[in-house]
Amino acid sequence: MIAPSKDHVSTYAEAPKPEAFDVRILRQDAPGESPKWERFRIPYEPNLNIISVLMKIAAMGKNAQGKPAPPVAWDSNCLEEVCGSCTMVINGRVRQACSALVDRLLEDRPTEIELRPMSKFPVLRDLVVDRGRMFRALERVKAWVPVDDYLDRGPGPREAQAKQETRYPLSECMTCGCCVEACPQYTKVELTREPGETDSQFEARRKQAFDTAFLGPAAISQAILFNDHATGQMQADERMEALTGPGGIQVCGNAQNCVAVCPKSIPLTTSIARAGRQATVYAIKKIFDR
Amino acid sequence: MADSSATPALPFLVRHEFLIRRLHSLSGLIPVGAFMCVHLLVNSSVLNSPETFQNNVYGIHALGKLLPIVEWVFIFIPLLFHMAVGIMIAAGGMPNTQAYPYGANIRYTLQRATGIIAAVFIMYHVFHMHGWFHFDGWLSMAESVGGHKFRPYNASSTAGAALQNPVILVLYAIGIIASVFHLANGLWTMGITWGVWTRPAAQKNALVVCSAFGVLLGIVGLSALAGMYNVGKGEAYQAAIEAENRMYEARVEAGSVQPNEHKRIEERGTRSEE
Amino acid sequence: MAKQRVLVVGGGLAGLSVTMKLAELGIAVDCLSLVPVKRSHSVCAQGGINAVNDLTRQQGDNEGKHFDDTVYGGDFLQHQPPVKEMTLWAPKIIDLLDRIGVPFNRTPEGWRDQRRFGGTLFKRTAFAGATTGQQLLYSLDEQARRWGAEGLVDFYEGWDYLGPVLDDEGRCRGAIAQNLVTMEIRSFKADAVVVATGGCGLLYGRSTMSMACNGSAASRSVQAGAYYANGEFIQVHPTAIPGADKLRLMSESARGEGGRVWVPRKPQDPRDPKNIPEAERYYFLEERYPKYGNLVPRDIATREIFSVCVNEGLSVQSDQQCVYLDLTHISREELDRKLGGILHIYEKFQGVDPREVPMKIFPAVHYSMGGLWADYVKSADGGLDVANPRNHQTNIPGLYAIGECDYQYHGANRLGANSLLSCIFTGLFVAPGIQKLLGSLKTSTNDEKYDSLHKAALAKKQAEHDALLKQSGDGGENPYLIHQELGFEMTKAATVVRQNDQIRAAIQKVNELCERAQRCSLSDTGAWTNQNVVFTKALRDMFPLAKALLHGALARDECRGAHYKPDFDMPGVEATDPAERRRLAEKWCDAFEEKNRRWLKTTVAKFDAAGEPSLSFEDVDTSLIPPRPRLYGLVGAEVIEEAWKDRQKKPAPSAKPQPALAAAH
Repeated sequence: MIAPSKDHVSTYAEAPKPEAFDVRILRQDAPGESPKWERFRIPYEPNLNIISVLMKIAAMGKNAQGKPAPPVAWDSNCLEEVCGSCTMVINGRVRQACSALVDRLLEDRPTEIELRPMSKFPVLRDLVVDRGRMFRALERVKAWVPVDDYLDRGPGPREAQAKQETRYPLSECMTCGCCVEACPQYTKVELTREPGETDSQFEARRKQAFDTAFLGPAAISQAILFNDHATGQMQADERMEALTGPGGIQVCGNAQNCVAVCPKSIPLTTSIARAGRQATVYAIKKIFDR
Repeated sequence: MADSSATPALPFLVRHEFLIRRLHSLSGLIPVGAFMCVHLLVNSSVLNSPETFQNNVYGIHALGKLLPIVEWVFIFIPLLFHMAVGIMIAAGGMPNTQAYPYGANIRYTLQRATGIIAAVFIMYHVFHMHGWFHFDGWLSMAESVGGHKFRPYNASSTAGAALQNPVILVLYAIGIIASVFHLANGLWTMGITWGVWTRPAAQKNALVVCSAFGVLLGIVGLSALAGMYNVGKGEAYQAAIEAENRMYEARVEAGSVQPNEHKRIEERGTRSEE
Repeated sequence: MAKQRVLVVGGGLAGLSVTMKLAELGIAVDCLSLVPVKRSHSVCAQGGINAVNDLTRQQGDNEGKHFDDTVYGGDFLQHQPPVKEMTLWAPKIIDLLDRIGVPFNRTPEGWRDQRRFGGTLFKRTAFAGATTGQQLLYSLDEQARRWGAEGLVDFYEGWDYLGPVLDDEGRCRGAIAQNLVTMEIRSFKADAVVVATGGCGLLYGRSTMSMACNGSAASRSVQAGAYYANGEFIQVHPTAIPGADKLRLMSESARGEGGRVWVPRKPQDPRDPKNIPEAERYYFLEERYPKYGNLVPRDIATREIFSVCVNEGLSVQSDQQCVYLDLTHISREELDRKLGGILHIYEKFQGVDPREVPMKIFPAVHYSMGGLWADYVKSADGGLDVANPRNHQTNIPGLYAIGECDYQYHGANRLGANSLLSCIFTGLFVAPGIQKLLGSLKTSTNDEKYDSLHKAALAKKQAEHDALLKQSGDGGENPYLIHQELGFEMTKAATVVRQNDQIRAAIQKVNELCERAQRCSLSDTGAWTNQNVVFTKALRDMFPLAKALLHGALARDECRGAHYKPDFDMPGVEATDPAERRRLAEKWCDAFEEKNRRWLKTTVAKFDAAGEPSLSFEDVDTSLIPPRPRLYGLVGAEVIEEAWKDRQKKPAPSAKPQPALAAAH
């Protein structure tokens, strides 16, 4: 790309922009290694987002001191905030890198942007973390509609507009991890492989650790999504069993950060409260209605 | 799933996490929160007159020998359970108000902070006024280190006298504010936990109601504290003792109260300030 | 015999459909994907999914019309039997999606709501808010996860497919793949491999496609001997938001609700757009197409915007090609009511309020109609022979291609809301064929006798990887910069308007880049989560597809669908004298017939060991709907249509016999 025309920038920018800005990134070579900060210097351009900054860093191949630096590893795919890949902690707050605009970030801190990996998941490298626990949580709550088969049996159940309008926002959850990163009740589960442990043994141990740890707002909300579906509801008791089991709905401390940081504005706290209500009924039924 | 059969049984606290958390939530309202409301309201009756308060205390002590059982079953045990589980919950969280300074998150952190403050305060408060246990040896030991100051048949005067130390008075004010916040905010989170208010609008309205309740109860609590303090000081103190003694003697005479010197100020009928 | 397995490469709509269907049939599946399957590019689809439904049927719609719209929209370049089969399945597919919980929008009575999309007269499109693709993908992801929980599907998310493993007879016996975290390279034994890896937008540097859409899986398959078809057919969307990292889609509805497209008459006028007076604004679509104004068909809008910027130098910015899409004359309330969602996207990614400041937009590469060549078997009624193992098989036995990365359904141009359908249809449809294939095989690749085959294939890929890691140090080429250059060349020569001299120049340039890419030096030589080496491999594998695309575009001297060469355009009839008009119309029809005789063919690219393509052409099965001219917006369309209709009524003595099946089948 050719250098941007400065006169155009001045059309929209409220404040004069710097010639260049620093990006400080918390890097880690591999799990178990100690993290280190590395600073990069990026020439300013209008309309940059964090993804394009990371692309520039990869192409530059050197840090702010001019020393060779391997490209920062990060996750991304759609760059439109629908795939959920590029979650990271930017200037102290968890969000999607694709929709984090440099111009906005520089308004908060004029010369520097700080990038860190999410703190609630094991770091694989640099900004890449392992969010396997979130997908395992979806399995725990049986986040699916249990249809008999994929043959032609006509349409699904009819659904009131109001019901669809309740379900649709919940169904926009992209398992990005913002909610659990900001949740003070969600704590990191990181296991290291023991000597002599096979893949499947390690996997089983990991699953067990996941299965007693907090489900998190995303999975709770998915359980409610499927309890709301006429067919999905037929499996509601199994979902309630997971929601009232170890690491279930009871771990929620109502800090409500989840709903504040959700990039899709999903009413997670409503889902949590509804899960609480369903759990109340389910528990009473289970105790008295045997 | 195939691997679940091979996994070892989970610890008791993990297996019953849901039930324990729900009992914790429930115990915060009933009986602990409800008791606190009654307690503060009864205490604030001292604002009317020491006699009013003394009457209320006689009402409570009408249970006689059953009183310690009722205290332990309906107050102390639930309270200790609520504290123990609460401390575990607080230890399991990682407050992050610096990164996410949102209202509900700040209240989340405050709920844990006030819970701990309230726990420390209440442990001390029961020791300071009540003494926890009714064994004579224990009580005299407690008394020798500044505990067991309250005498039910000299209710206002002993309570008031015990509050004359400014450090203790401030401690009580902090303790009352922390406990009231913890109850009011706990009521709000409880509504979410049990699914009473689910939508944001309902939660917002509930927050207004719970806040109003907290402010009112806080006023009641602090007024009671001020009332007690005032009764424990100077002429009011002497007047209170006299009134209490009159009431005691009249009741003993009428046979509605068994004489019990343990529940009265010993010997001189006056206590030096600490 | 050990248990048979199928490897599915790609976890988007197509990959997950085939995964869940195979699992239902009791077949063990390994599903391998670059990204967690829930993050696949399918999530980006916004509009909806087409199918005839009870409502449109009562307005005269039927599967035949959906079939016709698709074929006509694709300018007749598709083999017709697969398209027919797809449109027959479409209503059943929507029902299935409905059953598995997709939150389709509802009418007040609770039925599925439908909207109208481009290229049809019927409200055929079912939709779920503005994120239909996301909703469909999630519902399939949920089903696939359910099979995962039951142990029939193993997910390998974060694995890069390095190529198929072929036995001595040329049958596909599995694939080699690399873990993106641990960098472990291992072989996956499989009795059938299904490639469902989507498009190749990254050949163009930036496009509306996701970062995973680099075409590497298709490229690694063609380098192993698979054919690539119709590579030159790339759909360009007229309105996208230019970004340094990606071009994000701006829905057509912005123009539908009254958005006006313009550029300042003075090139790169530095003034705030709101201060440029009306007289100094060039509303080029309204001036050039008074009848349609800003709502000209997609391809015309694309070409005009492109031409105003590139050929006439009137781009709003000098460093970036773009025109204004202006909504500021419409009231805020109205905009929020009708376009709230899409304006929010612009605001989010540009940080500018489009209600106050005109949006800046430019066309962007959006979809690859072409892809891996895949077979089909026609049934007696003109559809497909259900459960035939040859359906969707590439020319390599046991290697299948479905979804956007096959070439079969969209011809020269894809109809809106048909891509989601083709992905899900192909996934569901191919599964019974694969089941039959497995039944016919006497062995399982998991038998011991295939161990040495896999070991050798693995060793080869490991050696290639190790050699690439050694290429470090100064003086070498930077893969990221080469990718930018490749994108620049491809965008210049092979998007909206194509000229042979430009394409020739681009081929030369791409060849140079290809050589330079062999000399890339890596800035990261580590053996853990090395994205640098993964990117470099993907970059190198872009070249065979880029070359096939350019060679196809160069060879195809005609205009068809998304492939537009002004030098071979057929102008309309402008004469006024009726006899002259008729004469010119006849001439036009002659030229049209000649053009079809010459070019109504699939471009098939085969590759040598170095990844150089050579082209051949294959007849298209148009036995169900005879080709007819697309006259939308053409001057004199009426008289041409009349002449064409008359011509069709006569028994055509010279009409070429349509082969029942294309030569290769």
